[in-house]
Amino acid sequence: MRLSFSEVSKTFLSFRGPVRAVHGVDLAVEEGELFVLLGPSGCGKSTVLNLAAGLVKPTSGEIRFGERVVASRDRKVFVPPKERNVAMVFQSYALYPHLTVFENIAFPLRVGGEEKGEIQRAVSQAGRTLGIGDILHARPAELSGGQRQRVAIARAIVRKPALFLLDEPLSNLDAGLRASTRGELKRLQRELGITTLYVTHDQTEAMTLGDRIALLRDGRVVQEGSPEDLYGRPGTPFVASFIGQVPMNLVNASVLEEGGDLYLRLGEARLLLPSGPAARVRIINSTEILFGIRPEHIGVARGIAGSPVAGTVTALENLGREVLLQVRVDGLPLSVLTNDKSIREGEAVALDIPLEAAHFYEKGVG
Amino acid sequence: MSEERQVRTLHLAGALGMTIFSLGPILYMALTAASRRPDFLSHAAGFEFTVAHFDSVLRTASLHFPEYLRNSIVVSGASAALCVSIASPAAYAVTRLSLPGRVFFLLSVLAVSMFPPVSMVGYLFQVMGKLGWINTYQALVLPYTAWILPLSLWILTSYFAQVPADLDRAALIDGCSRLTILRKVIFPVAAPGIFSTALLAFIIAFNELLFAMMLSTDHAARTVPVGIALFEGLHGEIPWGVVMAASILTTIPVILLTLVFQRRIIQGLTRGAVKG
Repeated sequence: MRLSFSEVSKTFLSFRGPVRAVHGVDLAVEEGELFVLLGPSGCGKSTVLNLAAGLVKPTSGEIRFGERVVASRDRKVFVPPKERNVAMVFQSYALYPHLTVFENIAFPLRVGGEEKGEIQRAVSQAGRTLGIGDILHARPAELSGGQRQRVAIARAIVRKPALFLLDEPLSNLDAGLRASTRGELKRLQRELGITTLYVTHDQTEAMTLGDRIALLRDGRVVQEGSPEDLYGRPGTPFVASFIGQVPMNLVNASVLEEGGDLYLRLGEARLLLPSGPAARVRIINSTEILFGIRPEHIGVARGIAGSPVAGTVTALENLGREVLLQVRVDGLPLSVLTNDKSIREGEAVALDIPLEAAHFYEKGVG
Repeated sequence: MSEERQVRTLHLAGALGMTIFSLGPILYMALTAASRRPDFLSHAAGFEFTVAHFDSVLRTASLHFPEYLRNSIVVSGASAALCVSIASPAAYAVTRLSLPGRVFFLLSVLAVSMFPPVSMVGYLFQVMGKLGWINTYQALVLPYTAWILPLSLWILTSYFAQVPADLDRAALIDGCSRLTILRKVIFPVAAPGIFSTALLAFIIAFNELLFAMMLSTDHAARTVPVGIALFEGLHGEIPWGVVMAASILTTIPVILLTLVFQRRIIQGLTRGAVKG
C-alpha cells in the first residue's frame, strides 16, 4: 500500500502558545518501500509517524493510504488507528507487562476477534520468524532488551498490517545487537513486503536501511532521496553535516575570478576550479561561500613539498581500519580520513583536495 | 561494630519500636477482651483468661453485633466498589486526555473533600429524611462515596500516571477503544493501585462514625463503630470487656482483606512494560 502526505501540518497547543511540530510535509512512500524519516531530536519525525498511525490528527493537509483518505481536516475525515490496520514498534517496546509473550503477540488478534486456532497458528509463526518460539510463556520483565525488541516486532507483524511503523526501534539496544538487528529488520521487511516508515536520528541506520530517506529539520522536509543522493548531493550544509559517518568539513572560502577562470581561495591556498565545480559556484553568485568536502575524499601525504594545500596534524584518532586526522590549514580546521598510519601528531602534511567531489553553499543558508 | 552491622541493628531497632508503638494499643485491646475483669493490670484483679466477652458479643441477640458487622461490610464494600468504579475512568481521563484545566479540576476535587463532615451532617440528615432513606444502606453508601471519591481519584491518578503512555498508544494501534484499553491494559497493569485504593476506601468507610451515627437508627443499617459506641449506656457501667471483644472481631474482616490483597498490592507496578 502506498502512503502519501500532502501539505500536512500539525500544531500542538501548549501553555506557551501553539507549537508547530510538522510544517507542510509532502511525502510519498511507495508500495513495499522502506522509507526512513531521519532528523535530530525535536525535528517532528515522530509526529509524522504518529500522524500516519492516527494517534495524532493533522491540523491541515491530507494523508492517504493508497487512494483512501485517512485524515483530512477539510474533508472532515479521520480514520482512527484501529481502522487503519497499521502496526507500530515503539522505542520503549511498549509490551504489556501483565501478559506473557504469547499473549502480547496475540493481543491485536484477540482484540480483532480472530478465532483461537488461527491465533495459535499466527503467533507461533511470528515467534518462529523472529526466533522467540522458546520464550512464548515468559513475561516481558524476564526478557533481555533484544528479546523484548523481537517480541515487539512479532506483535507488529502478526496481523499482516498494511503499514509498518517503527519509532527508533534500535536505539535501546547495545551496539553489536543493533547492527545485527538492523540487518535482520531489513531482511524481514523485504520478505514481508510491507510498506514501512522508519524513524531514526541515526544516520548510519538511515543509510543502511532506507530505500529512500527524508531528512527533517524543524518540522520540514529538508531533503528527500535515496541514501546515495543524500550522501553524494546534499542540498544544504545541514544535510551535508548530518549525513556521513564522519561529518563533512564545512569551512569558509572565497571565490575569485581571473581571466575567465574561477579560483577558490582556501586559507592561503588558491585552487583553480575545474569547469564542473566552477559552474556550481557561479550559481551561488557570491564571492564568500561555504566550502564542503568529505574527510574520506581528501588525500593526504607526509611532507609539504610542492603542495598547494599544506597543514599540521593537530589531533589523531585511530578508528581501526582508518585514522581520522584533524589538520589545521592556515587556521582552517579540516578532518581527514586516511589509511596511512605512519602520520604522527604535529607532523606537517600535504593535502590533496579533489574539487570535483566538493560541495559549495551560499553562506548563512540552512 | 562494622558500619553494616550498625545499620542493620538500627533498622531492627526502628522496626521493632514502630511495631510495638503500633501494636501496643491492639495488644491492650486483646488482653482486655480476653480478661475476666477490665482492670487486670491492678494488683487486686489480676489477669484471668476468658472467652465470655466474645461469646456474649456474638450470642447476645439484643446487642445485634453480627448485624452491625454485616451492615458495615456491605456499606463499606459498596462504597469502595462505587468509589473505584467512578474514580478509575476519571483518573484515566485526567492522566491521558489533554483536558484543559486538568490541575484546576484535580484541585477543586480535593477542595470538596476538605469540608469537615460535621458541617454537612445536618443537611445530609434533612436530605435523607426527605428521601425517606434514613436507616438504609444507600443513606450511608452515597455520602461515603462522595466523601472518599476525591482521595480515590488522587491515588488512582498517581498510579495511572506511572503507566507508560506508550502502552495506550500500542493498544490503540492494536485496535482497542479507550474503554477496552482501560479494561484490558490499564486495570491489570495498575492493579496494585486499584486494590490499594479499594482497600483504603473500604477502611475509611468501615471506620466512619459520624454519618453512620446520624443516618442510621437501628440494626437495619447501623454499622459497627456506632454499634460499639452505643454498647455503653445500655447498661449502667461501660462493659469494657464486651467493647474490646467487639473491636477485636471488627478488625478481623479488614485484616483478612489486607492479607488477601497484599500480594497484589506490593507486586511491581509496571515491571517490563518498557525498557530498563
